[in-house]
Amino acid sequence: MAYVAARGGEKAIQQAERLYREQMGRIDRDRVAGIEAALPSLIDRVMGEASLYAPELAALALAQSGGDLYETLLLLRAWRTTQPRLGIAEPVLPDQTFTHRRISAAFKDIPGGQILGPTLDYSHRILATEVLEQGGMSPEPVTPADKPAPSRQPSLASWQKQQGLLAEVTREEVDKHDIPDVTREPLLFPAKRAHTLQSLARADTGGVLALGYAAMRGYGQAHPTVNELRLSQAELRVTHPKGTVFSAGRVKTSQAEMVSKLDADGKLPLGFCATFGWNEVKVIAGATLDLNSSTATSDSPMGEEFFLYHTEAVESSGFCIHFKLPHYVTFQSALDALRGARAEREKTPDASQAVREEEDA
Amino acid sequence: MSLKKLTKDWRAMSYGFLDASAKRELRRKMIKAVAVPGCQMPYASREVPIARGWGTGGLQATLTLLNPRHVVKVIDQGDDDSVNAASIRQFLARVSGAETTLDTLEATLIQSRHRVPEEILREDQILVLQVPNPEPLRPVQPSMAIARQMHADADYGRLWLKLYEEIVRSGRIMQGAEYPALVNGRYVITPSPIPRWDVRKLHMARHLTLLPAGREKRIHAVPPFTRVEPLVFDDVPYKVEDHARVTCSRSGLKGFFMNEIPLDGGGTRYEISDSHLGAKALERAAGEAVRIGETWYKNGEMQ
Repeated sequence: MAYVAARGGEKAIQQAERLYREQMGRIDRDRVAGIEAALPSLIDRVMGEASLYAPELAALALAQSGGDLYETLLLLRAWRTTQPRLGIAEPVLPDQTFTHRRISAAFKDIPGGQILGPTLDYSHRILATEVLEQGGMSPEPVTPADKPAPSRQPSLASWQKQQGLLAEVTREEVDKHDIPDVTREPLLFPAKRAHTLQSLARADTGGVLALGYAAMRGYGQAHPTVNELRLSQAELRVTHPKGTVFSAGRVKTSQAEMVSKLDADGKLPLGFCATFGWNEVKVIAGATLDLNSSTATSDSPMGEEFFLYHTEAVESSGFCIHFKLPHYVTFQSALDALRGARAEREKTPDASQAVREEEDA
Repeated sequence: MSLKKLTKDWRAMSYGFLDASAKRELRRKMIKAVAVPGCQMPYASREVPIARGWGTGGLQATLTLLNPRHVVKVIDQGDDDSVNAASIRQFLARVSGAETTLDTLEATLIQSRHRVPEEILREDQILVLQVPNPEPLRPVQPSMAIARQMHADADYGRLWLKLYEEIVRSGRIMQGAEYPALVNGRYVITPSPIPRWDVRKLHMARHLTLLPAGREKRIHAVPPFTRVEPLVFDDVPYKVEDHARVTCSRSGLKGFFMNEIPLDGGGTRYEISDSHLGAKALERAAGEAVRIGETWYKNGEMQ
C-alpha cells in the first residue's frame, strides 16, 4: 500500500530519503576534504564521467550520495548543466602537457623514453591487513631519479607520422567557439568527431570497459596495441577580458592511442580517447572502441551508435532504475491483449491449430 | 542607467531550475515539433535533478513552459499520489512557485506518465506526456540513425508487417500500450506508452500534447485539431482495452480505464486508473458540490 499510497505519497518519499541519509550521518567540510585527499582515483573517475573538473565538488557529491557512483554523477551533471559558460580554453597538444607518466607498448624505447610515473601496475596486490592490526601504513619516501625526466614529452604519433606509418588526417580548422558541444547539442549519427570524443570522455568507465573488452576479445576486428598512454596535467589557458592569455590552473588528463595492424593502405589505424582525471582503464578501452568503430557495421555493438548510447552513465543507470517505477497501466494494457488473444484462440481452436502446424513446418 | 539596474542579483538557481539557454533551445524545438506534427526533433536534453528515465524529458518541457500563473498537475500511471508524481509535483512547485492541483479541470499544465486524463482537455491546457522511447520503429530497427532515415522516407512497411505477423501468430494485434499511430497523415509516432484506450483521445483534440523523451533526446508533438490514427488494417478494427463494462470497486464509476487488483483467493477487483476522477466521484456521492468535466468516453464508448 505504501507504493501507491492514497494521499501518502509525499510523506512516504520524505521519510524514505531520511532513512537513506541516516546511514551516512552528518556531512561536513572535514568529511568532504577527507574524501578528496584519500581517494584521488575515485575523484578522477567521477570528474571524468561528470565532465566537470572540480575535485572538491566531486568529493562533496560522493559524500552526499554515500558513495553511490551513479547518484554522484547525476548530482554533478545536474549542477554542471546549469552553470554559465565563462570562457573557452585554448586547445592543448599532448607534447605541451606536464607529463607524469607516458608509456608505449609498441616499441621497447621511444623518443623521450618510457616514463613509468605513478602506477600500481607492478605492485603486489596483497591486502594490507596490518593497517587494521597495527594501526597505520605510511607511504615509503620516493627516491628522486639522478636525472629528472623532462616535464614535456614528444608525441609518439608525430614520429610515426614522419615515418609515414600513420594516415594523414587533415586537421579541420575550427574556431574554439564553434567546437561542437555534446552537452548542448543532441548526439546524432554518424556522430561529429568532437561529439564522439566528448561522449567517450564522459562515458561510464565500467560500460566502456565492458564493450572495449568485448572488442579486445574478438568482437572487434582490430587487435589493439597501446601506442601511447599518457597521464598529464594540462595547462588551462584562457583569455582574460582584456585580451591577455593566462593560465587559470592545471587539470589532470589521461589519454590513450591504440593502434592495430597495418591496414590495406599500409597505414596504422589509430584509435583515441582522452578524459579528465587519471583513469587508464577507461582511455585504453575507449581508444579500443574508437579504433574498431571505423570498420564496424552500423548495427554492430562495435559501431559508435551502439557504444556511445550504451555507455552514457546517467542515461543507462537512470533507465535501469526506472523499472522500479510502477508500470501497471502498460502491464494492464499488455494483459488485455494477451487475454484477448487467448479468447480468440478458444473461440476458433481449429484455426489456431492450423497456424501452429504451419509454424512447425 | 547603471549596470546594477541591468543585471539581476546572483542566485544559486535560475527560475524554474533550467538556465535560460536550455529553455531557449527547448522552446525552439517545441515550436519545430508543433510545426511538423509527429516528427521527432532532437534536442540537447539537459540533466535535471531526477534520474533519467523518471520523466526528465517531461520535466524539462514542463519547466520550460512553467510560469507562476500556471496551475500544474502531475500524474503517474493515472495517479496523482504515486510517489514519483508527488516528487515531481513538489519539485515543480519548489522551483517555480506555480500552484499545484489534482483536478484535471483546474490544471493549465499537466505532466503525465502514461495516461491521458478521462475528462476532456480544453484549448487552454497543455498535456506533457513522459516518453521513455520515442521511436515507433525501435522493435523493427534498433538503430536511431537508420530509423531516422526510414521516417524521412515514410518507410513504415516493417511496422505494418510486424502488426500483420501478430495477427497471423496470435489472432490479433498484440501491441498493448504505445500503439503506433499516424499523425497528420505523415509521421508514425509511439504515443508514449499510453494505453490504446487513450490514443483515441489525441485525435482532433482541442489541447496541445507534447511528447518529450529526455533520455533519448527527442521531442515530438500532437498539436490541437490534428489527426492521430492508430495503424490498423481495413478489415481488423482498432481495439481498446476491454474495460467498457468494468466497475470501480471504490468509486462505483463505470466505463473508464481501470487498474486490476488481484485479490487473495484468486478474484479481482477494479479501481479507476484516473485517481482524482475517482476521488471526485466519491466526494460527489458524499454530497459535496464537485465539478466533474465532460469525459471522452461515455458508458465505456468513445464519443
